[in-house]
Amino acid sequence: MILTLEDVRYRYPGAARDALQDVSLSVTPGQFHAVLGPNGSGKTTLVRIALGAVPPLMGRADVNGRSASEWSRQELARIVGVVPQREDNLFPQRVRETVVLGRYPHLSLWGRESAADHAAVERALAACDVVGLADRWVWTLSGGEYQRVRVARALAQEPRLLVLDEPGVSLDLKHEMGLFELVRGLVDRHGLGVLMITHQLNLAARFADTVLLLDEGRPAAAGTTAEVLTREVVERVFAWPVAMESVDGRPQMIPLRQSKESRA
Amino acid sequence: MKWTLLIAIAIVAFAASVVFGPAAVPLSELARSDIVWNLRAPRAVLAFLVGGSLGVAGAALQALVRNPLADPFLLGLSGGAGLGAVSAIALHLTGPWALPLAAFVGALAALGLVYRLGLIGGAGGALDPRILLLGGVAVGAFAAAITTAIVSLADAAELRNAFLWLWGGLSAASWQAVLLVALYVPVPLLVLVAAARPLDLLALGEEPARYLGADVDVVKRRVYVAASLLTAAAVAVSGVIGFVGLVVPHIARLTWGHRHRALLPAAFLGGGALLAFADTLARTVVAPRELPVGVVTALIGVPVFAFLLRRWSIA
Amino acid sequence: MRRLLFAVLVFAGCRPSDRPAVGPPQRIVSLLPSFTEILFAIGAGDRLVGRTTWCDYPPAARDVPSVGDGMPPNIEAVAARKPDLVVLYNSGPNVTAAQQLERLGIQTVLLELNRLEDLGPATRRLGQLTGLGHAADSLAAAMDSLSARPPPTPTTSIAFVVWDNPPIIIGRGSYLHQLAALAGARNVFDDIAAPSAQVSLETIAARNPQWIAVLADSTETPSFAKRPEWRSVHAVRDGRFLLLPGTLFGRPGPRSAAAVRELRARLSR
Repeated sequence: MILTLEDVRYRYPGAARDALQDVSLSVTPGQFHAVLGPNGSGKTTLVRIALGAVPPLMGRADVNGRSASEWSRQELARIVGVVPQREDNLFPQRVRETVVLGRYPHLSLWGRESAADHAAVERALAACDVVGLADRWVWTLSGGEYQRVRVARALAQEPRLLVLDEPGVSLDLKHEMGLFELVRGLVDRHGLGVLMITHQLNLAARFADTVLLLDEGRPAAAGTTAEVLTREVVERVFAWPVAMESVDGRPQMIPLRQSKESRA
Repeated sequence: MKWTLLIAIAIVAFAASVVFGPAAVPLSELARSDIVWNLRAPRAVLAFLVGGSLGVAGAALQALVRNPLADPFLLGLSGGAGLGAVSAIALHLTGPWALPLAAFVGALAALGLVYRLGLIGGAGGALDPRILLLGGVAVGAFAAAITTAIVSLADAAELRNAFLWLWGGLSAASWQAVLLVALYVPVPLLVLVAAARPLDLLALGEEPARYLGADVDVVKRRVYVAASLLTAAAVAVSGVIGFVGLVVPHIARLTWGHRHRALLPAAFLGGGALLAFADTLARTVVAPRELPVGVVTALIGVPVFAFLLRRWSIA
Repeated sequence: MRRLLFAVLVFAGCRPSDRPAVGPPQRIVSLLPSFTEILFAIGAGDRLVGRTTWCDYPPAARDVPSVGDGMPPNIEAVAARKPDLVVLYNSGPNVTAAQQLERLGIQTVLLELNRLEDLGPATRRLGQLTGLGHAADSLAAAMDSLSARPPPTPTTSIAFVVWDNPPIIIGRGSYLHQLAALAGARNVFDDIAAPSAQVSLETIAARNPQWIAVLADSTETPSFAKRPEWRSVHAVRDGRFLLLPGTLFGRPGPRSAAAVRELRARLSR
């Protein structure tokens, strides 16, 4: 187990209700675990707690068997690579320079980057299929290319666990599919564990192994995609009528339009 | 290659500072001249120390407050220093070191106040860089207002001349002053250089920096305090010398990029060379009169700044 | 008196106001110590109803009520003295003050007084305004002869230091330069036309004046004398300071000849 959350409860200071309650999950190497839920269901809070940014009020969050908040930032960054939702790069950089930042958790205070560090960067660039972009300025990249570069940076950390927070937002179809394929490939070929926050139900269903569905901070369902993504559960959590189809053996949700009577 | 060039420029700037000046000292007498040894040489060294400190502080602050237009004097320190100096004069504090000491204390007081303001809104001791900027401007303006009030109410004639001091100048350079500054500067400099990698990460944003292993809250505090301490010393010794801390980091970034490990030392050497060069100009262009060095750095800095702005907007 | 010296060092144009006189003024406010001294010297002292805080000579002047330091003039305080003439030094802020006083119906006159040659004309003008032309003329003649006097060959060199950080010295545009020349001391900065200028310390050291003159009302050595970088100036290192009291040396006036004598005496010690 790289990451385990047990019965985690959290409430933001001054909030009216819990952001998370009774949430548990675990991620092992070679497992693609998705966390789904409507807006405000507590997904980003879950990431923060998993990574020790905030301690849970009740329950545990452990990384590699040790409480997440006990890890030093640098040690944790050697094990967990995160692609946060937002990044606002202040200065213009080339792709290779920004990916090299992923090696920083491994560098000592005064030491220079070694050949091993550069090799790790090259591997990360190759795994994300962005070697050809290595000398481009980051601001010239398309949204999809930039996202792959950010994943490459996280990979350069040589983590055992990759955490992605809503990585597909603002990507078009082609690039979003490409991203999910990339992540799936990393899990299959490199044995990474992946925790991905997403609201893309169908993509999660196609690519993830296990799913946690959150509803207002509480776990609505957890298990394999087939177990979780049933019509009853989806309709209840998302409060919308859906039909379920099967593609490649995976459930796919199709939202239904309003009933004929209410259509003028 | 570029390091060789920068070091060469620094050496040339230093040499020019020592060789050229309003007092005509023939080359053959340089080694024996009291003026060269006791006035020009310490002044050149001080220019390097002050200019270098401003360059490094500026580079670090630009990363910290995430604003490429940040200048060390945006943090209210110059206002605090001016208030300290003027208060010392108004209170008739005598002694050859009274003014710089009072200016330093004033700058520290401003540092403490802005730091305290920067903690507001940040969870559990975390500095908010945006508030640092705004707080710095507010504290600086507040201090300037009190300074003006003191000047208009008190009747010490020297008060009006104190503003000339604030404009910036290395006139007070002596080996004693150099020694003090040289003993003081290494610690905050070292703190900033040690923060080079976290500063690289901080440029991505606080959350990504945290996930890449930077202890963001600690880094922000350290960088803010160290950069402010360097700036406070610079103001106490030589008044407000603008544009060095703003422009030198950008010029350095053009050649060395954004990795602070190389950028900070380059900014130090570049800032030192620029100030030494500006001081030489200040002493020679209207000889026997002398221009305030802050005027020269502004005259050099503004066109450079305009050029950089164009480049920035293209990028 | 450094502040006053600072004021004296400013140049401006002369603009006396023209108003039909209804008999010479009997309630005069003087906003410059030099004018106060001149007015007393020509016998108009008893007509003075207002002075600045700096006006301390002659001793009788201290009995005249003060209207503030005059920088800038306090219009209300001046008007409260109900003057029929206000005498001001010709500077930018004073021009504005004069306009405000004129709007209140008070006659004002702005007089140049930067160098010795301005003393004669100013004295004559004050004599004209007060109806004491006779006394004024003889005083003015003495002042004219002082300013017209050819300076003796200098026997020593001097630099006036107004401020130390940054170093500000007096150039040949200043009245102090004239005093020094008449006392037989060459101002090492006589190549600077302005009344005052900022210079590098090394210039002062290189020009090596024999004396450093400072306008100071105390007899203590100036604090900058102890600073290490000033020790490169030999006169500072050797303690050759001339500490000149502001009341006598800081203003051109009837006592300027006495100031020259005093300076000459000190230089010969």
